[in-house]
Amino acid sequence: MNQSDSERVRRVLEGMGAQWTDSEEEAGIIGILACSVRQKAIDKVYSKISAWNRRKDRQNLITFISGCILPADKEKFLKLFDIVFAMRELPQFPQMMAHYGITTPAGLERDNLNPKEEMSFFWKVKPKYNSNFEAFVPIQNGCDKFCSFCAVPYTRGREVSRPSAEIVNEVQSLVNKGYKSITLLGQNVNSYGLDKKGKEINFAQLLEAIGEIGVKSSHRFWVYFTSPHPRDMGREVIEVIARYDCLAKQIHLPLQSGDDKVLIRMNRKHSLKKYRESVEAIRELIPQATLFTDIIVGFSGETDEQFQNTRKALKEFDYNMAYIAMYSRRPGATSYSWPDDVELATKKQRLAVLSEDLAGTAGAYNAQMVDKVFPVLVRDKDRKSGYLSGQTEGKITVRFASEDNALIGQIVDVRITSAGNFSVEGELLEVSALMDRE
Amino acid sequence: MQKEVPVANKIKTDLHEILQIRHLTDSTFVLRIERKGLTFQAGQHVCVGPPNGIHTREYSIYSAEQDDYLEILVKEVENGLVSPSLKKLKSGGFVVVEEPVGYFTINKALPKNQKYVFIASGTGISPFHSFVLSTPGLNYTLLHGVRHGDEAYDADAYEAGRYVLCTSRDDSGNYKGRVTQYLKKHPFGTDVHYYLCGNCNMIHDVYDILEEQGVSTDNIHAEVYF
Repeated sequence: MNQSDSERVRRVLEGMGAQWTDSEEEAGIIGILACSVRQKAIDKVYSKISAWNRRKDRQNLITFISGCILPADKEKFLKLFDIVFAMRELPQFPQMMAHYGITTPAGLERDNLNPKEEMSFFWKVKPKYNSNFEAFVPIQNGCDKFCSFCAVPYTRGREVSRPSAEIVNEVQSLVNKGYKSITLLGQNVNSYGLDKKGKEINFAQLLEAIGEIGVKSSHRFWVYFTSPHPRDMGREVIEVIARYDCLAKQIHLPLQSGDDKVLIRMNRKHSLKKYRESVEAIRELIPQATLFTDIIVGFSGETDEQFQNTRKALKEFDYNMAYIAMYSRRPGATSYSWPDDVELATKKQRLAVLSEDLAGTAGAYNAQMVDKVFPVLVRDKDRKSGYLSGQTEGKITVRFASEDNALIGQIVDVRITSAGNFSVEGELLEVSALMDRE
Repeated sequence: MQKEVPVANKIKTDLHEILQIRHLTDSTFVLRIERKGLTFQAGQHVCVGPPNGIHTREYSIYSAEQDDYLEILVKEVENGLVSPSLKKLKSGGFVVVEEPVGYFTINKALPKNQKYVFIASGTGISPFHSFVLSTPGLNYTLLHGVRHGDEAYDADAYEAGRYVLCTSRDDSGNYKGRVTQYLKKHPFGTDVHYYLCGNCNMIHDVYDILEEQGVSTDNIHAEVYF
C-alpha cells in the first residue's frame, strides 16, 4: 500500500516542480510514509526525524510524514515534522507546502472536505509508477474489521471504496502501456463496494470487469490482489478468478491462526471452518492456484495446543508461502493492553517449527514443477551472477541463466530443471509475451 | 513562521450532540446522542470519543434501528482512554461519532420464527437490546451474566420469560451462577442460532459448551468486548 501511496506523493511533488533525488543529503523536501503495523518501523521514524531536524541548522529542509499513523504518534509528529497529513489529504499537499513559501498554482485553493470526499480526490492523483512492468492500483482504503492485534482501523479509518470506473480505467491504461503485473490494493480488497451499500459493484463484479479487459487485450498480463479477508471471500470471487486468464491464479488468504479460540481473541470474525470452505472452493475451481497466507505465532494467550492447531491448518491447506510473524504488541491495537505472555524463546521455536512445515509443503509443490514449462515474469538480475530472476503467475520465484537485461519486464517461458523449498531454477525457452511493452 | 498543519489522520468525522446521559449504576451509563442521519443494522457498532481527544473506542449501538437518536451503553474502565472522559460529559455537550460498521447482525434471510439464544456478559447485552427493540416478534432467549443484580441493565425492555439474569455473586437474578453453568443445565438445541457478546473468556467457554452440545460453528456468532 505504501508503495502505491508513494507513487502518488511523488507525482504531486513533481507536479509542484520538485525533482526526485535518491540522495537523502541532497533533498530539500524529505518525507516518510509511515507504517504502524510494527513498532520497529515507527521507532525508525523518530530516529530519522531527529537527524533531519539537526540538518536544518545548516540547510533549508521541509519535512513531512503521512501513511499509517496512530493518534498518539500523530500528536508527537506534529511537533517534529513540518507537515503531517493523512494520505487522503494528499491533493491538499501543495496548499500545505505553500505555508513554507513554496507556492504553486495548485496551492492557491483549499477545500474543506470530509474524509470520504478527500479520499475520492486522493484517488484522482495519477501515480508516478516506479516500474514499467509492475504496478499497484489502490481500490479501497481503511478497515472495518478491528482485528485485536492491528491498529489500522485507528490509523486509516473506515473502509472507503474507490469508484469502480476509475479503477477499471487505471487498469486499462496500464494494460495499454504493456504492464505485465497489476496488483489491486486495499486493507480488505474483497470488502470492496460494501461501504457503498448497493451503489457500487462488489469485488467479484470488479474482478469481472477487469477480466474483460484481459479478454480484449492482445498481450498477457496478470492481475493480483492483496489483502483479502477470509470473512468476505465468497465463492463468487473464486468463480470469477477461475473464469478469466488475466486474473492470476495466486491467492493470498491470511489465516493468522488455525485455532478458533485464538481467532475469536484476534477478533477475526471468521472460523476455521469458514476459512476451510474458501480454500476448498479454491482447490475445486482453480486447482492450479498457489496459496499464500499470513500467520502470527505467540499471540497473547496462545497455548501449545492452539499452536498445534495452526500447524495442522498449515499442513492441511498446503501453502506455497506463509509470512509468519512472531507476535509483538502494537501501541494503539486492542491487544496492546493484554499480556504478551508467550515467551520469546517459545515464539522463536514456534516460528522455526512452522517454517520447517512450510518448507515441506512449498517444497513438495516446487518439486512437481520440474520438467514443466512455466511463463515467468522476469523481474530483476538474480543475486547469482549471470542469472535473471522472476516469478511464475503463482508467484513462485524462478531463476535462470541469462545476461540479457532486456528480458526484465517480459514474460518468458522457462523449463524448470531443479527445485528448492522456496524457489526453483530453470532454463530459458523463449519470450512468450505476444506484444512488447510500449 | 506560524505552522498551520492540517490535522492529520483525522478519523473523526462529525460531532454529535449529547441528548441525555442516563446512569444505570455507579460505573455504567447510557449515552443518548444525535443520530444525524446515520444508518445502521442492529448489532453494529460505532467508534465514539470525546470531542477534543485523539482516541475513540468501539461501542455497540444500544438503541433501535427506528429510533431517531443513537444510544450506547458505556461501562467506565478504570484508567481507560475514552470511557472516563465520556462519563464526565453532560447533555448539550458533544462527542465524535464515526459511521456504524460491523457484522454481528441477524441474518434477515432466516425464517421469521427462527429461535435465537443471545448470551451476554455485562455490557455485552448492548447489541441484544438493539436486536430486540429493532425486531418486534423476535423469537429469542437472552442469558445475561453479571456479578450482581443491579447490573440487569434495562431488564424491563425484554418480554417476560425471555430474559434470564444469571448472577454470579448474589442470588438476586433468575439463576445463581454463570451463564455457562446455566447453558450446561439448560441446552437449547442445535437448530438455534447463538449470539455471544461480552468478554473473551465467557465467549471461549460458551463456544466449548455449544460445540460439546453438537451446535455447528455456523450457528455460533460472536462479538468480543475487550
